[in-house]
Amino acid sequence: MTDKPRSFDQRQILKRTAIGIAFLIGSVVATAEDAPAKPASAISTDAIAFNEQIQPFFQKFCVRCHNPDNMKSGVRVDQLTATPDDRQLFLLQAIQKQVDDGAMPPAEELQFTPEQRQTLNDWILSTITAARVRDTKKNGSVRRLTVSQYRNTLKSLLGLQEDLTESLPPDGISKEGFTNQSHTMILSPLQVESYFNIAEKALDLCIVDENKKPVIQNFRMDLGTAINPEPCPDNLVLGANNFLLNNPDVLVTELTPNKPFAYEPFFMRKEYDFIEGYVGNDTIRAWKKFNSIYHSVFACMRGSPGYPKGQSFQVVPEGLLLRPAIPSPEIFGQSDTYGPMANFKISLRELPEDGNFRITVRAARYDDALLLDDDAPAQTNVDTVSVPVTELTSSPDAKVLIKEAGIYQLDIVSGPEPVKDLFSITLGDRQVAGQLRKLTAYPNRPNDEEKSKEQASAFLLVRLPAGELKISARLGDNSKLRRLVFNRLDNSHELAQRFSVFERRVPSLSVYLGLRRDCGSTLTQVGQPRRVASGELEEYVFEGAINDFPNPDVEKDNVNYLAGIREIGVRSEYTDGREMPRLRIRSVEFEGPFYESWPPETHRNIFNASVTNADPAIEAREILRSFATRAFRRPVTDAELEAIFSVWQKSFVSSGNHRQSIKDALLVILNAPQFLFLIENSQTPEPEDLHPNELASKLSYFLWNTAPDQRLLELASKNELRSSLDSETERLICDPRFEQFIDEFAAQWLSLDKIDIVSVDSKRFPRLTRDTKTQLRQEPVQFLRYLIEKNLPLRNLVQSDFIIANEVVANYYNLGSQTENGFLFVPIKHGQEYLGGVLTNAGILAGLSDGRESNPIKRGAWVARKIIAEPPDDPPPNVPRIKEDDGTQLTFRQKLEQHRNQQGCAKCHGGIDPWGFPFESFDAGGLLKTGANIDPRSTLPDGAEVKDLNGLKTYLANDRIDQVAFSFMKHLASYAIGRSLTYNEFMFLKEQGKNLRSNDYRMHDMIKFVIKSDLFIKK
Amino acid sequence: MGSSVQLDRRAVLKGLAGVTLSLPLLEAMGKEVAETPPRRFCAMYTANGMSLPKPTNGIDEWSWFPKTDGRGFEFGKSTEPLSPFREKLSFIGGLYHPNGTKADPHLCSDMWLTGAPLHNPKPGTFNSVALDQVVATHTKQYCRQPSLVLSIDAGVGFLSRTGTISYNQEGKPIPAENNPRRVFDRLFRGDRASLATQREQLQRRIKLVDAVLDNAKSLNKQLGQSDREKMDQYMTSLDEIETRLTASEKWIDIPIKTQDYSHLNLDANSEGEPHEYYRNMFDLIALAFDADITRSVAFMLNREDGMGVSDTFPVKLGLNRTHHSLSHAEDKEGQLAFAKYDLFLSEQIAYFLGRLQQFQDINGSVLDNSIVLYGSGASTTHNPTNLPTLIAGGANMGLKHGTHWRKPNTPMSNLYLSILRSMKIEEPSFSDSTGVLNDSVFTQV
Repeated sequence: MTDKPRSFDQRQILKRTAIGIAFLIGSVVATAEDAPAKPASAISTDAIAFNEQIQPFFQKFCVRCHNPDNMKSGVRVDQLTATPDDRQLFLLQAIQKQVDDGAMPPAEELQFTPEQRQTLNDWILSTITAARVRDTKKNGSVRRLTVSQYRNTLKSLLGLQEDLTESLPPDGISKEGFTNQSHTMILSPLQVESYFNIAEKALDLCIVDENKKPVIQNFRMDLGTAINPEPCPDNLVLGANNFLLNNPDVLVTELTPNKPFAYEPFFMRKEYDFIEGYVGNDTIRAWKKFNSIYHSVFACMRGSPGYPKGQSFQVVPEGLLLRPAIPSPEIFGQSDTYGPMANFKISLRELPEDGNFRITVRAARYDDALLLDDDAPAQTNVDTVSVPVTELTSSPDAKVLIKEAGIYQLDIVSGPEPVKDLFSITLGDRQVAGQLRKLTAYPNRPNDEEKSKEQASAFLLVRLPAGELKISARLGDNSKLRRLVFNRLDNSHELAQRFSVFERRVPSLSVYLGLRRDCGSTLTQVGQPRRVASGELEEYVFEGAINDFPNPDVEKDNVNYLAGIREIGVRSEYTDGREMPRLRIRSVEFEGPFYESWPPETHRNIFNASVTNADPAIEAREILRSFATRAFRRPVTDAELEAIFSVWQKSFVSSGNHRQSIKDALLVILNAPQFLFLIENSQTPEPEDLHPNELASKLSYFLWNTAPDQRLLELASKNELRSSLDSETERLICDPRFEQFIDEFAAQWLSLDKIDIVSVDSKRFPRLTRDTKTQLRQEPVQFLRYLIEKNLPLRNLVQSDFIIANEVVANYYNLGSQTENGFLFVPIKHGQEYLGGVLTNAGILAGLSDGRESNPIKRGAWVARKIIAEPPDDPPPNVPRIKEDDGTQLTFRQKLEQHRNQQGCAKCHGGIDPWGFPFESFDAGGLLKTGANIDPRSTLPDGAEVKDLNGLKTYLANDRIDQVAFSFMKHLASYAIGRSLTYNEFMFLKEQGKNLRSNDYRMHDMIKFVIKSDLFIKK
Repeated sequence: MGSSVQLDRRAVLKGLAGVTLSLPLLEAMGKEVAETPPRRFCAMYTANGMSLPKPTNGIDEWSWFPKTDGRGFEFGKSTEPLSPFREKLSFIGGLYHPNGTKADPHLCSDMWLTGAPLHNPKPGTFNSVALDQVVATHTKQYCRQPSLVLSIDAGVGFLSRTGTISYNQEGKPIPAENNPRRVFDRLFRGDRASLATQREQLQRRIKLVDAVLDNAKSLNKQLGQSDREKMDQYMTSLDEIETRLTASEKWIDIPIKTQDYSHLNLDANSEGEPHEYYRNMFDLIALAFDADITRSVAFMLNREDGMGVSDTFPVKLGLNRTHHSLSHAEDKEGQLAFAKYDLFLSEQIAYFLGRLQQFQDINGSVLDNSIVLYGSGASTTHNPTNLPTLIAGGANMGLKHGTHWRKPNTPMSNLYLSILRSMKIEEPSFSDSTGVLNDSVFTQV
């Protein structure tokens, strides 16, 4: 499977060598327009000149090292001819550069005379010029869909939610980082066999027996103090670090939903015999019978104890209150893998085996009080309303009169004894509890001797309406509590302002599916977090395919009480620890498999009502025509349809089963090259226009990473697509499917996978946790998306006065206070000299480190490859690594400079390190370093001097913007057409792309430029 | 065995990596390869570690690891039954899974054959591929069944307390068989109904491949001047799949080697006498190896953390306490009883090695053509370093035995890579391996 033809490798190597060099001498090359076309007879003259003069040069000076056996630096010159083909043009330029610089032949070898050098130079120039006016042969292309394209296409064709592509081998990655390049796309029997299996599985899921009633599981768990009038009497246990809610606070009801079709309700099994059970965390062995739904469905909090402030969860009559679930560090032993116990989950024994599910959470933002820090001082205020403890405890519903509506601070006053108790309070319908660690002295000691011994602390801030307020409170056994004091805060008071920010904050609700497990969470998020802004209960719906989530893989008759327990997790999502009102969960409802109708849409997509016919053969033909047309992304031809129809026919004759026979024929369609491949069929060696249908597919797989929609295909059928490329490009960019382009392209172009791979030294960079890394990886993607969405000038890519961040990312840059949008990425004016553009995205910088130290080589090579498209050569084999810790006092930069001065290293590093040095101000976590010995100055390969990264950004955004634009378009074009560019295409982008400068290289202009160029629309 | 034969064989292995259907390449590849002796692998796991008594208890002679290193080692009292196989086995000391020290110690059986980072699983995964399944991927072309996965308890147990040590390429647990009769039926008595279903599925798939091929061929004709490379790869793949399917269909009709089954007691089960049960399971493995039904076996002898029926075996043997509880013993009496259970297990392993020794391949005993791995995921309970490990057999794969090899802090995965290399499975690495075991019992890595 690795034995791809040698010529590909070679071409890659040649190109790598040459591309970088091409630019340094770009101006030397005459453009195609300037070049005088040579008369045909000149070719033979060239051939003679080559044979008589040039070939002998190569033989004499070069071939000894650059021959088929040796191929030093991956180069061989023995194949060069008078009329070099496209890939050899890159080589010629490289040769010219090497000879011009005096790098070749090497000093110890035989040297050219100045005249010989001139002759060679002239020949190369004239040969390249001649080659560029020759028509390049084109012979169409046949590419297979990438794994993600196949996944997206299958989903949209079948309307199937479940992802079946797990078993496909991952796509190869090209030198430029792309997975869609034809030369890295290998097709193996394993892959084809996976296609067969996936197609079969997909059709089994889509096509149902419509006469059979579906079985539907539907239940709801309601939460709230004493909500269950008949609670389970048993003491329930679910293993270590699982805290079960009190039985009376949980009510499970099995439901029969209203459906517009007949179905069979599924009732969960309640009777079980287990031999292995648990007492606490100990396993015990004895058969025991169980019979209650509460041994099948549990309400559980998971995690370690100790929430920084307040209680992680609290059950109140109106539901379950959750504080944000703090993620844990990843190492077992330091802390539980769940973090403090704010993770609610329904643990249960049975969920459907297949199909989609729907989870409906009824939730609200709690009208909460803001807990203050332990040492917050008590107030003394004229508005004080004092509630002595006698009133608090004498009657169950004590009341206090609040004269004026507003924000109040509540102080707790106790006697002189030390206080270290849980304090809980009910204010109206609102409940709060928190651990008091100590109370401080009263700030203004009253004269009263008894009172002067009292201690007091501020406990919380709360907004209260005027009028009577029901109140009850408890501090330990209440013996130490003297009274509570309400102090109204003026709206301008610092604390009042803090409260106004707090009460406007919106918790994010998210739902997970997973399995019970002792170590390591398997919970997998269902969809995206939802913002819960309303104080009234609202329904939040989460949907997915059950098999996209962890499956228990447990045999049905397992005799262990804890075996195969599944989990539905519900959380208030944590961003950066900002204080926010709690999330109130009233109920969680599950329904699955979830059908809107029966037979389901996936079935009706195939057995379309409009083709129903009494004659199964007629119906079959129409079903297959419609399906194949959608699958092939163009009208199916008569010959193709006949072939597919004959599969149905044979199957129907032998089985008499219409549905099965349709399945057999659809299997052929789903495994046909017309479905699996993107085919640009070429009839002549000359470049031809793409067929409109081919253009529709090319466009949609480029900008959507999936099949064209109805409109694109209609435009194609009317032959109007080519004339509407501008407007269609705009339309595709505005479509939600454009995200599928951004995700792929940004990640592959900018090598964002490096963030996933880097193993961060958590002692040095404790803030760079797994969850933070996930968000930081999104930052460049969202940034690029924003640039394109707003059609901004490209210079923002390297330098911008804003970042695109959510709360997690903004907080990482210490800009958390600039946004209140949860996980939503929004523009933020950063006001920092060092931020803006992708070069200072912390995720990228962290990915380009070893997790401990910054690395100017990795960062420099990344800039050279990705941002300015002047990629360095690959390092030669057996280069020793530069040791970070070699006992010397030299900085890494100084060592690198030593290394660079060695002969053989200088050439490549001269093109890498200068781009990396300006990043030296940034640590391996991607943030500004502190301390001395930081030297971000650099002299760039073209001689320009920059004093730091901001200098580099300014330089790129102003002086080198053409090169940055070229790099963007080069990567974009290569991704769009699924292969590396030819020399001509490369030069075309380089030269003609500059015309976009007059309009500041706006993002849409560059995308359209690529789409409307011959490299895209010709085959 | 000439080197050219080896090369051809390797090329075939490489070309077919990842094939999901077994096929009788033996005939297809001709006599030379048919006469290449099989290379087999068997992994056996025992839970809760071995008895390594505290010095203060004064029963050092009951320590599972020999007291001295190198060729001059002496068997301890708990491994004495293995002494007749001195030149066919070696103790390996100092091994550990770097990820083992980070994870919940109860997970040590889950990662024993995988080395996966279970403390921090990649989202959506729980484990990674086990060694026996890597072996199976490379050997299944040559035998009827890719692998045999056995355990004291049937099924997979459940997450973080699994009852199997084998995980597939996606890291999902592979359900284990525990019933001798079911194992026997599966190995030697492919029942008619399931064979018929199998044949039907194969034929259906063959028809599909034919239809897809027809369609692809006619498309290929219309492709004009277009680049055909991808189409060629596609057609070649289809051809290859068809060849394989046809071959698989043939397997169904090839008779199994005639063997003597009279000594088997297929009614033995895990609820009965432990030794009776283990011996029948070992007999079945030996027979399966002898008939070349499979070349990869994983057998979980007992389970971690008091799970399953095996926890009661020491009680049945008169040792008073359960397996998990014994493993936690600190006192002399408890540690001695734990060591006596090790002794019982050594007797069973010795019986198995003896069986493998009795069966003959063309170039020596089945034992010499099988690498047998026996060990635990903890040295004593919940201590995931210095994993007790015994390697036996494989003389024809370059294993030089009769030693107690020890090198502290050596990744277990390095041993696994050494096993793969000895079997001529040219994987670049296994799990978190950092290399092979140099200067050890493995001489052909």
